[in-house]
Amino acid sequence: MGVNIIVCIKSIKSTASQGQRSFSDELNPHDRATLEVALRIREDLGGTITALSMGPETFATSLHEAMVIGVDRGILISDRALAGSDTLATSHVLAAAIRRLAPYDLVLFSARTADSDTGQVGPQTAVALELPIITGVCSIEQGKNSLFVERNYDGFLERYEVYFPAALTIHQSAIRPRDTGFLRIQSVFEKGLECWNHTDLGLNRKEVGEIGSSTRLFSLSQTKKMRACAFMSGSGPGQADQLVKALLQLDMI
Amino acid sequence: MNIFLSDKNRLVQRIAHGFCEIEIQPIAGKIDKEAHFPWDVVKKMGELGYFGIQAPKSLGGAALDTVDYILIIEEISKSCAALGLCVAVHNSVALYPLLAFGSEEQKKKWAPQLTSGNKIGAFCLTEPNAGSDASGIESEAISKDRYYVINGSKAFVTNGGVAGIYLIFARTNPNNGNKGISVLIVERGTPGLIVGDLEELCGVRANPVSSVRLNDCEVPSQNLLGREGAGLSIGFAALDIGRIGIAAQAAGIARAALEEAIRYSKQRHQFGVPIAKHQALSMMIADMATKVDAARLMAYRAATLRDKGESFSQASAMAKLFSSEISSEVTDQALQIHGGYGYSKSYPVERYYRDARVTRIYEGTSEVHKMVIARGIMGN
Ligand SMILES: Cc1cc2nc3c(=O)[nH]c(=O)nc-3n(C[C@H](O)[C@H](O)[C@H](O)COP(=O)(O)OP(=O)(O)OC[C@H]3O[C@@H](n4cnc5c(N)ncnc54)[C@H](O)[C@@H]3O)c2cc1C
Repeated sequence: MGVNIIVCIKSIKSTASQGQRSFSDELNPHDRATLEVALRIREDLGGTITALSMGPETFATSLHEAMVIGVDRGILISDRALAGSDTLATSHVLAAAIRRLAPYDLVLFSARTADSDTGQVGPQTAVALELPIITGVCSIEQGKNSLFVERNYDGFLERYEVYFPAALTIHQSAIRPRDTGFLRIQSVFEKGLECWNHTDLGLNRKEVGEIGSSTRLFSLSQTKKMRACAFMSGSGPGQADQLVKALLQLDMI
Repeated sequence: MNIFLSDKNRLVQRIAHGFCEIEIQPIAGKIDKEAHFPWDVVKKMGELGYFGIQAPKSLGGAALDTVDYILIIEEISKSCAALGLCVAVHNSVALYPLLAFGSEEQKKKWAPQLTSGNKIGAFCLTEPNAGSDASGIESEAISKDRYYVINGSKAFVTNGGVAGIYLIFARTNPNNGNKGISVLIVERGTPGLIVGDLEELCGVRANPVSSVRLNDCEVPSQNLLGREGAGLSIGFAALDIGRIGIAAQAAGIARAALEEAIRYSKQRHQFGVPIAKHQALSMMIADMATKVDAARLMAYRAATLRDKGESFSQASAMAKLFSSEISSEVTDQALQIHGGYGYSKSYPVERYYRDARVTRIYEGTSEVHKMVIARGIMGN
């Protein structure tokens, strides 16, 4: 049979500190696990994987990387009109692109991103596509025509059976991504990416970008962590006693 | 550096960086201390393409360009100079001569073993009595029926302790001076190829650098690489490329030292302020960063010239000379910035300092490089 999998990925600003590194955008590290999930499913069931990313041209690097990791096709949705999209407008665009990629069986997102960590894009896109979605998936097993997935939430392990087509957001703990090598790089750059813009998707300017967004980030400031540091002194066992007392007082144990 | 690198170059750099941070950085201190060659990591690197960086795909390589190659060497060396050396020597002076001068049969036979990392390559030119003056080598390969019988002694063979394929430089004609030297491919396990004890080195300690002896070692005449007598020109062509890799290696070590120095100088306080606030140190860091930048740029230039098919040996010699010299300076300054802690094994700078030192010696000393560069400028 074979399943068609779509993985939505994004780039983040590199965390490079001392200006010594030459790269500025990199694949959201959480997306590696999500791509690995897709690769494993394809290894078992056959089919294709398409990586999809909406963002500025610099996001191409993540799609290239996804292709080097092993996805079959990379699509960048990029144009000026899309700039300033909030999560809802982004989901709207992704949904339109995914519709264009029909038929598909599975749409994967990462549960988190390493930068603006809203966790909204996956669920919103699934709603727009009227797909069932399980969020924060931490383990996946293949059934006959379905997947068994687990999510660990609030102290409970939930186990679901989901049928295709479906959407999942993958928690990083689900799987350890494989190491990336160099053997495919040359052919990835020979093949290149596909680039779509909002008109390719049949979207109106007013539905996307800043105009199409229903929320606007008004300000951004760093908050101080309410974290205090306390030192335990004395002998080892004495320190352990103090630590236990302190944790009891805080209701932590 | 963005302006000099293509999207592909940058992706290569990032992939190498990611791998080295996770797989190499954490073990670098330990393998240096124990002088241990990390086979498990090397096996993985083999699967990922690190041992066939510029080899064609048909031979199992990644078909990348020279800029990609030096970016990879720089990233590995930033984590561990000994592994950077292993990969650099394997790809440049061992694998490249086979790809450039080997016959189709030779390539088919040996290249896939090398590009997969299943066999590591070694380059055996230096001898106890012939270092800077490679034309003084005394090893002999006497042609006999369809065999060569090799006798001689090789010193300082990088990867010597673990290699599967050795390129041996030996005289096939004792009377013909520079034109009497040839290269022979000798596999580990060939009777008469004796891998000697490992050198106890000051730096790059995780690389099993050894001596190699050849004692009536017989190899079929099909193991001759290129023509008889072409040995030195093959060797020098390989070293032209090798030197860009050493420039990148030295720059990688210097970068590691610079980053440690910056980190430490911000967190160590003396006289009530972070030591980075003392002008003497911030000026030192400015100098170090400038040198590292210049060294990287020179290496990128040499690599770019090669990729464009232009002559690059002068640029390669200059890059290797400059980068190895500043690597010693920068690692020395980084150690100084760490004060007493820099001299202690509990910080990595002393390793960078030891590792940087050798880059001024191998693949041609700084003095020899100046000779080569001067000759290039002024003629003989
Ligand atoms: C860790 C390590 C790994 C190595 N790996 C390899 C390898 O894989 N394969 C290989 O073949 N070799 C290898 N070498 C050998 C290396 O290339 C030689 O050490 C180097 O070429 C210098 O030769 P030498 O040690 O015999 O020094 P010498 O040639 O004896 O030089 C001693 C000093 O004299 C100077 N000198 C020599 N001639 C001149 C001149 N004409 N003008 C001015 N100064 C001069 C030198 O610069 C140096 O300062 C390695 C060396 C080391 C330390």
